[in-house]
Amino acid sequence: MTETYHPLVKRLLDGELSLNDLPTELRAQGAEALRLLGVVDRAPVSLPARLDARVMAEVRRRAHSPLRRAWRRLVDPRDVELRLRVRPWVVVGGALAAAAALALLVARPAAPPAGGRAVLMASRDSVYVRFILYAPDARQVSVAGTFNRWDRDAAPLVRQGATGIWTTTVALPVGQHQYAFVVDGARWVADPAAPGIDDGFGRRNSVVAVTAQGARTL
Amino acid sequence: MGLAELATDREVVQAVLAGDVEQYAVLVRRYRDRFARYAARMLGSVDAAEDAVQDALVRAFDQLAQCREPDKFAGWLFLILRNRCFAERRRRAREGRPLNAQDDAVAAPDRTDGRVEQRERSGALEQALQKLTAEQREVFVLKHMDGMAYEEIAAMTGATVASLKMRMHRAYDRLRELLKGHL
Repeated sequence: MTETYHPLVKRLLDGELSLNDLPTELRAQGAEALRLLGVVDRAPVSLPARLDARVMAEVRRRAHSPLRRAWRRLVDPRDVELRLRVRPWVVVGGALAAAAALALLVARPAAPPAGGRAVLMASRDSVYVRFILYAPDARQVSVAGTFNRWDRDAAPLVRQGATGIWTTTVALPVGQHQYAFVVDGARWVADPAAPGIDDGFGRRNSVVAVTAQGARTL
Repeated sequence: MGLAELATDREVVQAVLAGDVEQYAVLVRRYRDRFARYAARMLGSVDAAEDAVQDALVRAFDQLAQCREPDKFAGWLFLILRNRCFAERRRRAREGRPLNAQDDAVAAPDRTDGRVEQRERSGALEQALQKLTAEQREVFVLKHMDGMAYEEIAAMTGATVASLKMRMHRAYDRLRELLKGHL
């Protein structure tokens, strides 16, 4: 039968008790247990200097591989400048159309979504993705992803009155983007209305694929 | 110390993502040895630790765009290294090559000061640690070799303090059994 340490001796090993805190009958066992920790080698381990050169050689090779460069071109965010030449009547007409659309929205509010979702709208030169999250208890919400280098401050969502719905619209370049919502500046939440993928480190990211024709969640 | 060495992890990560690949060397220098002891104790050898740390640093570069919180690069890198160490242990177990302190024992350097008994005990402990489960061994390494509190280990690994204590207490009993006659 295996002889186990008394629970108080385990607390001694954990550093929660001293040897003098133990009842007299347990002190011999406690002293034996401390001999175990007394032989622990805590010396630092230094890796050879060649490691740095090896890592950087591999990093440079990967950074310059055509495949990686093509991938980065596809997914890296870029600044897009839109220049429009418009006639004044177009502006007036556009404003009236926008007002009419807003009136329709106010007259027939959509049912609140159960969770969040990215609503996708395509324009001619860029694709606007509308991110929506239902978070009635949140004080602030933002969306962060590969398109803004996971900057939690770059794309805040705006609360839509008392509905508990938060939204924002972000122009995304063509490519596949991983993202997640950040609630109250600290809590990462995958889009509950979009399938998620494992980020490789035990957390879930949502994915939106953007093409010239539009965008869809994956 | 150059300016780059004073930059925060966030600044370095952002520079690398912006295309300045050479800045990654700052992170390599900053973290290469910090986790070396963990890897060496988990894998039983400095050589294996070198491979694991190198793989983890390269993988972290590959996945850098997914690093949500560049300020916490160290913790993120640790998780990558941890996954690598656990995978290596599983691979060796599958291949019937259990880790043992003979690979190039990290805990028993030759000493000529006559402390033979101490060296033997240290070697015996190293052998015994290799017989623990990976989770038990990890918590022992982080607490008693790296000197971390349970709360810090919980924050790094994602386990609860209660489950860490349970692993550790089972490890104490197993070590007592394995080291009978050495202590």
